[in-house]
Amino acid sequence: MTFVSLEARALRVRSRGVNPQTGQPDQLVEPVSLSLRPGHAVTLLGETGSGKSLLAQALIGALPSGLVAEGEVLVNSVQQLTRTAAQRRALWGRMIAVLPQEPWLALDPTMQAGAQVMETRWLVGGQPRPQAWQGARAALRHLEVEAAETRLPGQLSGGMAQRVAFAAAHTGDAPVLVADEPTKGLDISRRDSITALLRRHVEEGGALLTITHDPAVARALGGTVLVMREGAVQEQGAAEEVLIRPRHAFTRALLAADPEGWPRQAGGGQIGAPVLIARDVGKVRGGRRLFSGVSLHLAAGEVVGLSGPSGCGKSTFGDLCLGLLSPDSGTVERPAAAPHRWQKLYQDPPAAFPPKVTLRASLMDVVRLHGCDPAEIARLLLRLGLTEGLLDRLPSQVSGGELQRIALLRVLLLKPLFLFADEPTSRLDLLTQQETIGLLTAAAREQGCAVLLVSHDRALLDRVCDRVMTLPAAA
Amino acid sequence: MGPLIGSPLVRLLLARVGQGVLVALMVGLLTFILVRALPGDMAYRIAAGRYGFDWVSTTAADAVRHDLGLDQPAPLALLAWIWDLLRFDLGQSLVTGRTVAEELSHQFGQSVLLAAWAAGLSLLIGPPLGVLAGLRPGRLVDRGLLLVAVLMRSVPPFAIGAVLILVLAVQARLLPAAGYGTPAHAVLPALTLALCLAAVSARVSRDAVMTVSGSAYYGFGRTKGLGGSLLFWRHGLRNAAVPVLTYFGVQFVALVEGMVVIETLFAWPGIGHALVHAIVARDVPMIQGAALTMGLFVVAMNTVIDVVCHLLDPRGEPS
Repeated sequence: MTFVSLEARALRVRSRGVNPQTGQPDQLVEPVSLSLRPGHAVTLLGETGSGKSLLAQALIGALPSGLVAEGEVLVNSVQQLTRTAAQRRALWGRMIAVLPQEPWLALDPTMQAGAQVMETRWLVGGQPRPQAWQGARAALRHLEVEAAETRLPGQLSGGMAQRVAFAAAHTGDAPVLVADEPTKGLDISRRDSITALLRRHVEEGGALLTITHDPAVARALGGTVLVMREGAVQEQGAAEEVLIRPRHAFTRALLAADPEGWPRQAGGGQIGAPVLIARDVGKVRGGRRLFSGVSLHLAAGEVVGLSGPSGCGKSTFGDLCLGLLSPDSGTVERPAAAPHRWQKLYQDPPAAFPPKVTLRASLMDVVRLHGCDPAEIARLLLRLGLTEGLLDRLPSQVSGGELQRIALLRVLLLKPLFLFADEPTSRLDLLTQQETIGLLTAAAREQGCAVLLVSHDRALLDRVCDRVMTLPAAA
Repeated sequence: MGPLIGSPLVRLLLARVGQGVLVALMVGLLTFILVRALPGDMAYRIAAGRYGFDWVSTTAADAVRHDLGLDQPAPLALLAWIWDLLRFDLGQSLVTGRTVAEELSHQFGQSVLLAAWAAGLSLLIGPPLGVLAGLRPGRLVDRGLLLVAVLMRSVPPFAIGAVLILVLAVQARLLPAAGYGTPAHAVLPALTLALCLAAVSARVSRDAVMTVSGSAYYGFGRTKGLGGSLLFWRHGLRNAAVPVLTYFGVQFVALVEGMVVIETLFAWPGIGHALVHAIVARDVPMIQGAALTMGLFVVAMNTVIDVVCHLLDPRGEPS
């Protein structure tokens, strides 16, 4: 079957049941119209919870059972919404390929990578086994991951897993490729290599639907961009038009949230007494020299950025500064103070809170243990733009950005001398990232706390830090 | 390839051998202490076992005491048992005078037969039902299974056995109620044990299948275009089997426990039955021999399960 187009006309998504408060079903995605055609890219740009993934699921027929799609979905002008789930599933792998989020989790952990690439060609594409193997090997070679063939997913690096998943999803049979947050959690070089793969699919005459929160991905892919917010399309048009001359205020805010466009924060606040002097420190871990001869002089109120390639020992260096590890060479000097005044802010906020305890209880534990002033909580809530009511919820019931700000509040309660912030916003949306980083640096400077901020985004560090130090790649 | 596959497997086997030695020492020590801690004079009990209750007298008891060296200090007796064990000598039954090894070999064969039937039957009942429930959680099969499984788990095995005897042997007269000799005799005890095992393995299978079918890789398989049963064979079964089998290994403890009760209930001449009789008669070498055999049986079966899991799950142990 040759592919002509996949179209959505006034496609919308609502809940199957009725919301007891409104007496009506929840409308999750407002009517959207778009068209996927050969050699054309369409990108849905928006933040977490904006409904962009739901829209894509409605388009391919993969909505969770509690949700209903209405309007029209046409594949080669044939209405899809009236077809059965089984009829729609028959298009998967044959007409529509789906590139999964988080490829590491999307690969079967107990099956070798080659077999997972080959089975799509064999069992879905109907090729004989030897030919399917040939195709799979060729695809892996094409993506420069031949070495992955006999490895298990657990033995692949993130970048390799990404390309194996691409080879498994993209057999060349399916003209439509749907990629849901394909660059989530990747650093910039990996992000660029995956967008290059997606672009190649379009250049080879495929249709592409990409869902992303990153304007840089949308810019790289071109084609048509739909900006979504709270289930509704805010702005829709050619990429160059929307991304360069945004008409809608939300699009402008989203684009401005890209660290490249942040205003430079004025550093040079009150620089106080030294809180950390590291001289020529080096560390070996797992038989590998991570770094050596690294020096850092940090004074109260200073915000210093730390960058470097993946695996170069940024987190290890932070743990040395915190006194959680001792260096193999060199010295780390810290003024005498209670150990809890050296603090760390973690990358993944949900992992930093006990899941079944309310946030208030978690904070009160800190207050009790270290004898902090409970009134401080109210002041910090206000300072960090949080409401009191959030504290009665569980960590899973607040957004990632709110939770990271509560983690920051918990740290600031302890009046830290030094804060090691380890990629604190890499899992947050851009707007949330901007807000969180702004609050983090401002509040630390106010309290006279020294900050060592880790990020893989050099532009971000340049904008908000007093200075940036870079660790070289590990030996 | 040889050393690559061999080394984790060899490490696994060595660990199990070490565990076997520990089990042997613990069993010896515990049975020894427990038997000595039982109320009453051992010599009288053994005399009753040897000569019959009517012939027990102080003279007979003293003869037994002297004959078996029961008056020697306890630590010495324990060391003697361990020394014998090192020479693979389990000693002699205090009651019959025959060697423990001789007595146990027949009984152990019967117990293994029963355990094999029970384990096989439970695998035919539990996991398939669990898979059915796990693929459609919250539906009728799932809810029904939950109810039955909880019921089965909350009733002790002997009560299930008694109900089966009442229904299938006494009322319907389909099967013999107790004893052994024909394959029909094995059905009720094996079924009783199997139901107890299946109640748990069905739930474990259900949860394993639910975890797998909710996983990102299962979802990816679906959107790759692999249909229902194909998807389950390629990505479901192997991933779900690992926790089910691991748990099956844990269940062998319950199986051996159940055997003591069930063999007694159905008069099955196995090792559990022998253990109960030996305890009543204070036949210490028999108690130690039976407990040791059962302990080592659990270790051996767990080793088999480990090897199967190792072959199924290519990831091996996390380094």
